[in-house]
Formats: sequence, C-alpha cells, structure tokens
Amino acid sequence: MATLENDQDTILRASIDRSLRHPVMFFFTSGAAWLAVAILLGIISSAKVHSPGFLDSCPWMTYGRVSAAHQTALIYGWGCQAAFGMAIWLMARLSRQTCRNPGTILTAGHVWNFALSLGVIAILAGGGTGMPWMEMPSFAWMPMLLAYVAIVIGSMVQFKVRPEGHTYISQWYLMAALIWFPWFFGSAHLLVHGFSGSPLGAAGVNAWFRSAMLLMLFAPVGIAMAYYLVPKVLGRPVYNYSLSLIGFWSLAIIAPWAGMQKLTGVPIPNFLPYLGAFAAILFAVPAAMAGINLLKTAVTDLEKVNESPTLRFTVWGLIFLLIFGLASVLLNLPSVTRITQFTISGYGYDVLGIYGFFSFIAFGAIYFIVPRITRREWLSRRLIKSHFFLSLYAVFGIALVAIFGGLMQGVGQETFTSAWEDAADRVVPYAVMTTTCWCFLLVSNFFFFAHLTLMWLRLGRRSSHPTLLVEPHHHDPHGPEGDIDNAGPAVH
Amino acid sequence: MSFRNFAIGLTVSFGLAWFSVVLLPFFKLRDLTPVAFEEGVDTKTGIYFPKTTGRVVDGARIYAENGCYQCHTQVARPTYAGNDLKRDGFAGLKGDPDRGDTRRESNPFDYVGTDFAQIGLTRNGPDLINLGRRLNASHGPDADEYLYRRLYDPRLDPAVASWSNCPSMKFLFEKKEIQGQRSEKALDVEVEEGFQIVPGPAARALVSYLLSLQHDDEVPSSMNYAPVIPGNEG
Repeated sequence: MATLENDQDTILRASIDRSLRHPVMFFFTSGAAWLAVAILLGIISSAKVHSPGFLDSCPWMTYGRVSAAHQTALIYGWGCQAAFGMAIWLMARLSRQTCRNPGTILTAGHVWNFALSLGVIAILAGGGTGMPWMEMPSFAWMPMLLAYVAIVIGSMVQFKVRPEGHTYISQWYLMAALIWFPWFFGSAHLLVHGFSGSPLGAAGVNAWFRSAMLLMLFAPVGIAMAYYLVPKVLGRPVYNYSLSLIGFWSLAIIAPWAGMQKLTGVPIPNFLPYLGAFAAILFAVPAAMAGINLLKTAVTDLEKVNESPTLRFTVWGLIFLLIFGLASVLLNLPSVTRITQFTISGYGYDVLGIYGFFSFIAFGAIYFIVPRITRREWLSRRLIKSHFFLSLYAVFGIALVAIFGGLMQGVGQETFTSAWEDAADRVVPYAVMTTTCWCFLLVSNFFFFAHLTLMWLRLGRRSSHPTLLVEPHHHDPHGPEGDIDNAGPAVH
Repeated sequence: MSFRNFAIGLTVSFGLAWFSVVLLPFFKLRDLTPVAFEEGVDTKTGIYFPKTTGRVVDGARIYAENGCYQCHTQVARPTYAGNDLKRDGFAGLKGDPDRGDTRRESNPFDYVGTDFAQIGLTRNGPDLINLGRRLNASHGPDADEYLYRRLYDPRLDPAVASWSNCPSMKFLFEKKEIQGQRSEKALDVEVEEGFQIVPGPAARALVSYLLSLQHDDEVPSSMNYAPVIPGNEG
C-alpha cells in the first residue's frame, strides 16, 4: 500500500514537472541570457569609472546610460525572471497541483521580455526616465505588470485549491512576495508617472521602491526557495519550525518601512529617513532567523552539502544572506550613513543582495529544478564547479570591495579640508577591482549559460543518477551512468 | 494559520507602512505650504518664493536621460547628515561679494518645477545643487562657455584633467562646416580645418539647466534650521 501511494506521489510530481517544463525553462534560460547582458554592461560601466575614455565615442555607451541599463537588465531580466521560474514551480509542487495554463505563462513571459528589451534599448538610446531602477520609459511598466499577473495568477489559484493539510513556510513566503510585488511595483510606478508636481515625493517613492525590490521580492522568494531546498535535498526537517514563522512575520512587519534612509538629509519629513534606517537595520532580524535556521539544518550533513551542486549554491546564498543582513545594519547606522550615503557602497550592497544572496539560491534552485523538468541530468561537474567557484570569489570581491571602497570614498568626501580630487582618486583602485570581478563573472556565467542551454535542448545525460560534485571512482569525468530511461520510480 | 488570517495580517502590515511612508508623504509633498519671511528677523518681507531661470524642464530631461544622477547628487545635507555645508561651493558661497556667506541646506522649494528630485546615487563627481552659483563666481559671464567645453570633454580642463572620470558628452554637440564667420558659440577645441564644433539643442538645454542650479538664496529664518555659525566653518 505504501509503495502504491509512493508511486502515485512520484507520478504526481512528475506530471507537475512536465506541465511546467516550458514556462520554467523559458524563465531560467531567458534569465541567464539577461544575466549575460547585465554582466557585459556591468563590465563596460565599471571600466568607465576608472578609464573614462573607454568606448566614449558612442552615445549609447555613455556611463550613465550603460550603468542604468546594467542594473535594469540584472534586476528585471535576470532577477525577476529567476524569481518567476522558482515561484511558479515551487508553488505548484508544494500545492500538489499541475499547471493548467502553461501557454498563458509562456506568452506572458514573452511579453515581459519584449517590454524589457524595448525598455533597455530605450535606456541606451537616451530615453531613460532618470529614476534609478525605474529607468525604463513609462510605456514599459504596465505591460510588465499585466504579464506578471498572468504569470502568477495560476500559482495563487493553486494555493487556494491545494489539498487540506499542512501549509509549508515556503508557501507563506511565496504568497507574500506574489502579493507584495504588484502592490509596490504598480503603486510606485503609478505615483511617479501618473502624478506630477511632487519631485521630492517621487524621489521618496523611488527610494522606497528600490528597497522593496530587494526586501520584498528577492528576499522572500530566495528564502522560500532555500526553505524548500535545504530540507528536501538533505532529507531532514528544518531545525526550528516556529523560528521560521517568526522570521516570516518579522519580515512582513519590518520590510515595508525601509527605503527612505537613502534620502537622509534630503528635505523630506525627518521621520521618513529615520524610520527607513530603523527598518533597514531591523531587516537583519528576519535575515538572521532564516539564515541561521537553515544553516543549522545544513550543518547536520556537510558532506552532502559539499557534493550537491544545489546545496553548495544554496548554503552560500544563505551565508550571503547573513552578510547582507549585517551590511544592512552597518551601512544604515546614522554615523556610517553620513559617510557612505553617496558612495559606491550602495552598489556593493545591492550586488550583495541580488547576486550574492538571491542569485546563489536561484542557481541552487536551477541545478535542482532543471533535471526534474527536463528529465535529464546535468552534463558536467566541471562546468558546475567552475560556475560555483568563479561566482563565489567574484561576487565576494565586488561586494566587499565596493562596500569597503565606498567607506574610503566617503571619508574622502567628508574631509572637506582637502580637495575633491582626493575623494575621486580613492574610488579608482576599487573600480579596477570591480571590473576584474565582473570579468570573472562573465566567464562564470558563460559556463552556466552554455550548460543550461544544453539542458534546455534536452541534451542532458539520460540517467537517474544526479550529477554530484564528488571525485568519481572511475575514469568517466561525468560520473556514473545510470539507467538510460529514467521514467520509472527513480524520478525525484 | 488560516489563509484569511494570513491575508489580513499581510494587508495590515504592508498597508500601514505603504500608507504612512509612501502615499501620505507623496501627496503631502505635492502641495507645499508657503513660508513667510518674518519682519524684524529676516531682511526680506513677504512670502518666500524661489526664482529659477533657465530651461529647467528640458535640461533636467537631458540630465536624467544621460544618467548624470549615477555620479552627481543635488542636495546640500544638514550637518547631522554630512559635511556638505562646509565643502567649498556645495551649499553656497562662503564669501559672496554682495551677500557674504550664502551657504544653506537644501529645502523642498529647491526642487519645485521638476518632476523628479534628482537627489542622485553617488558622488563619484561633486554635488551640483549649486553648480550654477559656483561657475558664475569662478567664470562670470563665460560660465556657459566653460561648461560647454567641460561637457564636450571634461579632461580638457587642466584643473581636473588628471583625475576626472566624467564621461565626455560629445554627442550633444554638432560638427558644422564654417560658412562665413565662425559661430559665437563654437567651442575652442581641436577640429579639422574649416569646421567648428557647436552645441546642439540638447547641450544648450543641459547647460541652461545646470547654470540654473543656484539654490543658495536667502530663506526665511524659520526654515533655516542649521545656519552656518560664523567662525565654525571650514
């Protein structure tokens, strides 16, 4: 009887995976392609900080435009699409419902990409709005919002009609992100595009929006995914379940207040930056709760963490989450803000959140999900290892160098007795280091993207043995071959 | 936890913050209450109304489209938030020939007339809230000429050539054949024989906007929260 239930369970999981194969693969591959675009633009914009003559004859490659396009591609091209792919897959799996509208999701995904492509081209062509992270011209946000609704509406229905019983913590995080995103994305764009005459109000909304993207979209989706992956791959329960619930509600209560600390000293009502700083500092609480809870779970079997590509990335994503929380505390203390407010530290903080914490968990998720939906295993452990180590060192490099460099830059800015040249000179070595790190990330992402494309073309290994990062006991560099047809109960 | 409780909890926790830090301040900042000068305390009388001249809307658009805000800020922060009041030329002039020390922090009226306050992200370049004032003081009537050259290629200015990483905005300028007399606005830069470099419409709007950035006028003392204390400045 137990075997029969087990088989039915396996079949259900396999049919859920099959129903989501095209939309999820679309979001992951398209996201990885956008990540490559973002990295290329990142290299160009970072290079221009220390070598302003680089590509300076081309108006499309002006620093301000490239830098804006780089961030837009990273956030909406890679970040959002990776989040969509993870969210629809995880919600379907946890609600035990197959996807009934893959065609709609796929179409909406194309609309998102189309609007985004036009938006990025417009930014490079000189049509940006000048509002950080909202630079795409006003034609883009409405189609993107509608596409978003079409993408996730099915997930919300799945949650609503899920079988009676336990609701997983990941589902709460996902539901929250799915509800928050249209609320803050829609209202922020509506306010700044629909109501003129409030320049400072618009700047405030923009600052809040940037914080919300990090803390109310990427943070909850990343944490939701990690809460699924770590116990799942290890086959162990979460270290402390009630801690995870408290962590969720503390995020829900704290995160919406953060953001305006970016406008400290700007003539807006004084309580806004203080409240923002307070909330941004308190963000360390939900970050630590989720991070520590899951790392406590992970340390019970470090061998498995080491050999599973999924867990390696996810666990480092969680370590980045702890560092991200720590950076939120340090950078938002009033005594530090006065030094770092207008320096490259802010960029380092964003990269730490998007590329360190969120993307590492997204990579972990992709290494887990893709074999299940394509029913093929990853081809090469060397590609995965190269992707892992290059990303790890490079992201650490950018985040630490930019945050620390910003501190040094800020000290130069605040020393009003010496010339401005001093503050400007202080940035150069850190910018050189950042460019180098982005180059490493380009190589790293090349391995990842090539590998993912092969999987997308269904050229993965036909095997029921997952690709693990352990030394093989024989000469085949790709690990032991298993059953040729993995349609049987061995499907994960 | 039932879905109903979850939805209520989420709506309240988010909605409260959204209403009080986003919606309310946005609309409050939309209609600023006029501030009056006080007789006997201030040298001026009537209502404080900052005057801005120049192609602010067009120029601000060029500024935004080319991402100037990535490296330049536009705010003079109060002393609790930074040393902007002490940095030469950021918050006003220390020794204006007519008005003396004009330095003051930014106020909400400084941004009136634009759609988006370009507070900026970093100060890889200097703050610009009083750029027009600084340039008028250092270059007088030639301020626009200087700024055109500076935008065309920042490293033509020997004062910053060794360290400025400001992008050159050559695409805002036009190369034209000289017909008859050389244009008055032609830039003093190297160009092939028989041609001249003149600022295009975008460059003219941008320069007009940048020179309009002079936000150190006298404000009612009720608004001047942190006046620079004589003898304590840098």
